[in-house]
Order: sequence, then structure tokens, then C-alpha cells
Amino acid sequence: MPLNQALTGKEYPPLSMEVDRESVDRFAEAVGENGAMFRDREAARAAGFPEQLAPPTFPTRMQIPVSAAIAADPDLGLDYTRVVHGEQAYEWVRPIHVGDVLTATPRIADIRAKGPLEFLVVESEIRDAAGEVVVRARTTLLVRGAGGGAS
Amino acid sequence: MTTRPRFEDVQVGDPIPVRSKVVRREEVKAYADASGDQNPLHQDDAFAQSVGFPGIIAHGMFTMAHVAKAVTDWIGDPAGLLAMDVQFRAVVFMDETLEAGGEVKAVDPETRRVTVSVWAAVEREGKRVLAVKNSTAEVRLD
Repeated sequence: MPLNQALTGKEYPPLSMEVDRESVDRFAEAVGENGAMFRDREAARAAGFPEQLAPPTFPTRMQIPVSAAIAADPDLGLDYTRVVHGEQAYEWVRPIHVGDVLTATPRIADIRAKGPLEFLVVESEIRDAAGEVVVRARTTLLVRGAGGGAS
Repeated sequence: MTTRPRFEDVQVGDPIPVRSKVVRREEVKAYADASGDQNPLHQDDAFAQSVGFPGIIAHGMFTMAHVAKAVTDWIGDPAGLLAMDVQFRAVVFMDETLEAGGEVKAVDPETRRVTVSVWAAVEREGKRVLAVKNSTAEVRLD
């Protein structure tokens, strides 16, 4: 069943997340980031940042629910068991830090087919509490054709 | 962390230091918990086998985080990483050695921005398999 291309451009309700220290510590540990600014508030402040920094790919914590919100749209016709992550782009305006309250507005940027594959491109602008864009994220999901095995 | 490269010291063709790690099941589980991506493809061998893999695979974002770390370790400045666009071309299995690196492709003296092509690779059955290719990072150097 092909994806519903009429949903290109559709926006979904915003999702919010507060960046707490425990989540940042756990993420830094998981990605092997031992840099002092990612582990310690004082080290980050000494370098001119307001708080302990989150690693660059930390916004993945928002992209997971962003993608899930879109995948759950019954009008889209997405079988999530056939989805693989094809491409990821981030554009960072500034580093995320502990205490940031972030809001992401998911949007379907593109749906297209290429052979047995379909591409679902999801974009979100992640803004801070002041409404300033902090990160722009683009996730490309590949949907394998029905009956096709994983490769 | 080594000394930060200055813009004037960087030339097209320069490699960035390769970063290497062995991908362990515990780390992939830790990444699932830290990122919130609890897809069973990354935790449940039986599930992974049901969709055609020999066992669980690492998250694409686990690999991207490793590539990002290679870049930020090179520039030594958390605010210097401006953008990254990564294509996932092959899966990564447990206990494989994942390498990440890159090469300077362009420099812009006006903005002090440097474009780096980035990659991630594993050795599998004697062959080098690119898990990440046709991918770039944009950084700004002092």
C-alpha cells in the first residue's frame, strides 16, 4: 500500500521537551562523549555557555517522537515494521544545554517513490522557550516495498 | 582533546583523525534508553532475524553520533559544528569495529566555514563496508 502523497506539507501538533541533566548525562555516556563541557556545568560556563551542553545529536530524543507522531497518522498508511532510517540532517544554530525547553513542530516535507522504495521526509524546526530556532532537523525514512526482505 | 585546528592551517584534502570503537550490545541498549528509540530491531535478535538480519543492528543514529564525535573531537569546539547530513548505506552489527573519519572538501575564507566529507565503515568478511557515505559536515573554525 503506497503512502498517501497528499499529506506532503502536513504539519502536526508541536511536541515539547525540557532538557534535564539526567537525560543529557545519559545521552553523553551512551555516545561516548567525555568532553568536560558535556559533563559539567562549571566547565561549560568557563567556556562561555550558560549550562552543561548536550551532545550535537541529542535532538534525536525529539526526532523519535516526531517521527512516531507522523507514523501514527492513520491517513498516511505507513507500516512502521518496513521502515529503515535512510538519512539524517541536522543544522545547529547553537548548542543545546541543560534547562532548554524545546518545541518541535513535525512536518511532512516530501513523499516520493523510487523503484520498490518509498521515501518519507520529515522536517522539524526545534525552537527554544524564546521562540528562537536552535536546530533544524530532517529525517528521511525508507519504506521497503511489501514482501521485500530487509537488506 | 588535542589542539584546535585554526582555519589557516586547514587545506582541502586534509584528513580528520579517524575515531574507532567496537560496537557492543550493552552500548546499543544504552543508546536505545538514552535516545528513546526502543525499536526491537536494535534489542531483540529474534525480531531482527524475522526481518532478515542475522542479529540486532545498531541504530543509524548511534553511528551518526560516532561520526559527529569524530568531527567535534577534531575541531575541539562544541559550537563549531554547524550542520551534518548523513546517509545510512549499510547496517552495523554487534562486535564490529566502527570507524569514522572524514576529509576536508572545501574552505571558505569569508565565513571561515569548512566542508568535510564524512564516512563510517566496518570491516566485514575481509571487506570494508561503508555504513555512512556521501555525507558531509559543515564546521566553522577560529
